[in-house]
Amino acid sequence: MRIRNAMVLVSGSLLLTATASGFSPGGLVRSAAVQKKVVTIVWYASPITDTGVRKTMIQAFEKAHPKIRIKLNTAPTNTDTMRSTLTTAISGGATSPDVFMGDVIWPAQFGHNDLALPLSKYLPKSFWTRFAPGLVKGASYRGAVYGAPFFMDAGFLYYRKDLLAKAHLPVPRTWPQLVKESKLLQKRKLVKFGYVWQGADYEGLTCDWMEVMSDAGGSVFNKNYSKVTINSPQSLRALKFLRSLITSHVSPAAETTFQEPQAMNVFDAGNAAFLRNWDYAWSNSNDPKDSKVVGKVGVAPLPTFPGQKQPGYSTIGGWDVYVNPHSKYLAQDLTFIKWITGGQAQTILATKFSEIPTNYSVQKNPAVQRLNPVLKTVHNVHLISRPSGSPVYPSVSQAMYSNLNSALAGTVSPAQALKAAERQIHAAVSKKGL
Amino acid sequence: MRALNLRTKTVSLGGHRPLKVQLARQGWVFSAPAFFIIAGITIFPILFSVFMSLSHISLTYSGFKFQWAGMSNYSLVWSNSLFQYALGFTIIYTLVTVTVELILGMGVALVLHKLTSGRGFLLAVLLLPWALITAISAEMWSFIYNGVYGVLNAIVMGLGLAGHPVIWLGTPMLAIASTMVADIWKTTPFVAIILFAGLQMISSEVFEAASIDGAGAWQAFWRITLPLLKPTLLVALLFRTLQAFGVFDLPFVLTGGGPGHATESLAILSYQVLFEDLSFGPGAAIATSTTLIVMAVAFVFLRVFRVQVGDSESST
Repeated sequence: MRIRNAMVLVSGSLLLTATASGFSPGGLVRSAAVQKKVVTIVWYASPITDTGVRKTMIQAFEKAHPKIRIKLNTAPTNTDTMRSTLTTAISGGATSPDVFMGDVIWPAQFGHNDLALPLSKYLPKSFWTRFAPGLVKGASYRGAVYGAPFFMDAGFLYYRKDLLAKAHLPVPRTWPQLVKESKLLQKRKLVKFGYVWQGADYEGLTCDWMEVMSDAGGSVFNKNYSKVTINSPQSLRALKFLRSLITSHVSPAAETTFQEPQAMNVFDAGNAAFLRNWDYAWSNSNDPKDSKVVGKVGVAPLPTFPGQKQPGYSTIGGWDVYVNPHSKYLAQDLTFIKWITGGQAQTILATKFSEIPTNYSVQKNPAVQRLNPVLKTVHNVHLISRPSGSPVYPSVSQAMYSNLNSALAGTVSPAQALKAAERQIHAAVSKKGL
Repeated sequence: MRALNLRTKTVSLGGHRPLKVQLARQGWVFSAPAFFIIAGITIFPILFSVFMSLSHISLTYSGFKFQWAGMSNYSLVWSNSLFQYALGFTIIYTLVTVTVELILGMGVALVLHKLTSGRGFLLAVLLLPWALITAISAEMWSFIYNGVYGVLNAIVMGLGLAGHPVIWLGTPMLAIASTMVADIWKTTPFVAIILFAGLQMISSEVFEAASIDGAGAWQAFWRITLPLLKPTLLVALLFRTLQAFGVFDLPFVLTGGGPGHATESLAILSYQVLFEDLSFGPGAAIATSTTLIVMAVAFVFLRVFRVQVGDSESST
């Protein structure tokens, strides 16, 4: 039966395919004519923080634009499942959803496969200046911008203020210092584990890896993506360091199975001194429902290796808003995008839901910063993007996290893992892979 | 089943040709809607998937663009080490889980068969793992296997079998074994219930005769129970093999195919290639290859067992 299910999965997309062949994006032209009437557009978005962000946004938007109604369609929280759903629908020519939330690593794949509208063709240059530096470049592929940055995210170091105070330790600024402090706290039985992070076999490991590898001076590709550079002495140093966290028991042995929630659980239960996580970990660790460390948590930029520029690198995460190329209501879609990246929406996002706004003037606003402590840190972090400029990024990332995970588990040596990753990335970009 | 009975009846009626034709026509009329529905939801998509596997496919604003590719997707897939590993993993996974499930299921079925009271209750309890949605039971198992809070580690360490927590899903061999255990837990009840139904159909007179002739319990099992159970065993074996070969949900939730690619089955690989990498041609080639292999295996089983499933009742 399961094989049948897999087949149905395949065939579902096939049926959609069949209907797609006759479809053309002619719907775009019609949008001007229907502008007078009330139009409903469909917004496909995941629950974000589960605290009603989307509904609040929609209410405020409909108040400002009474001629446009937004129908919310809830997407799965797993980014890969969400992507599969979208690619199946849009490649099949579906006109709904009109706008959708999408991961910051999607522009190349979606742009390359015509799954998102090149927004830079429809929105003036002046529109794009509202975003914080680097974000528009991250949403671009081959000179066109495909997504409007909605909210951003980055890796942070969360630490236990109370433990560091008890042991008279500073917030670590280098990786060896973090290890030393962890061991000290562990030895004094103040805490069970030193540092928890994301080491499981999935996209999150790629994020954590990008940070440590960049700290060591390594890279995945050279500047113009023409050469795979991951198998370097710098990368080896980074991978050996990550593996040593596990062998020295600074990180638990189960680290190789940790995604965000597992690492978060250990930290929230009071069993780890340091945590690497995204921006939501702030509100999560301060929620008395889930956390035993309320009020004891501090946030700082991630450490780096000694002798490198301070602070360490933080991987850029977050979400953009994209437009379905088959949408019939382009004008309304663009109105929604302009509003949701504008001052009112972004202030709601930052102050009521503690997300990091993409709108630069909101991000810098002291009144907003007072209500969102992570925002103060975000200006000091050193951002690094994943190599998502390649349309085969999913295969590239998989080549990294699956091999790195094996090295972390100790089933292959760090050198072997990097060699295998290099080979598989090369196969992926030269289209010799699957 | 019904169609078979009808046919044997008409054969026995021999000369009455009009009746036979009429029955045949009725048969076609009645089965036509079902046939078209099945054709629409399975045969057409399968054929389309075969067509996809023979094409280079690119996405454009105006839909898919197909370009004849011949067997190139297949040669790409079959020469790829990830596919070869997934094939090997799927075969071993199927062999181990189905064998263990048949042995355990047989044991459970025999016990159920001998029970005089509490059978209904036990059946209900047994069905629980099978009735649970796999995605949910896989989540439950991931809690059991959890390296920090997992109950399995609490048991293992409590008994003094290990000094430190075991990372059940962290290394390839352990992850493969753990996934197999979860599968066996879930599907042994299915096998047990099919075999139990088969046992119920064997007339008790046969066993009485055997015991009068001086056959021991062991002898009776090998000489009577097993041969008479053959058609039922084949059903269980076929179902389980087909399911195990297409396994997707359990490893997808439990390990995501990891660590590395250790628990990546053919179905997971084809999902990733199709929907994450958007390589529709190669993805369809993996799906089609899997289907062909399963069909070949099913054919071999039917030949080896030489059982006509439909006639099983008349042979007892």
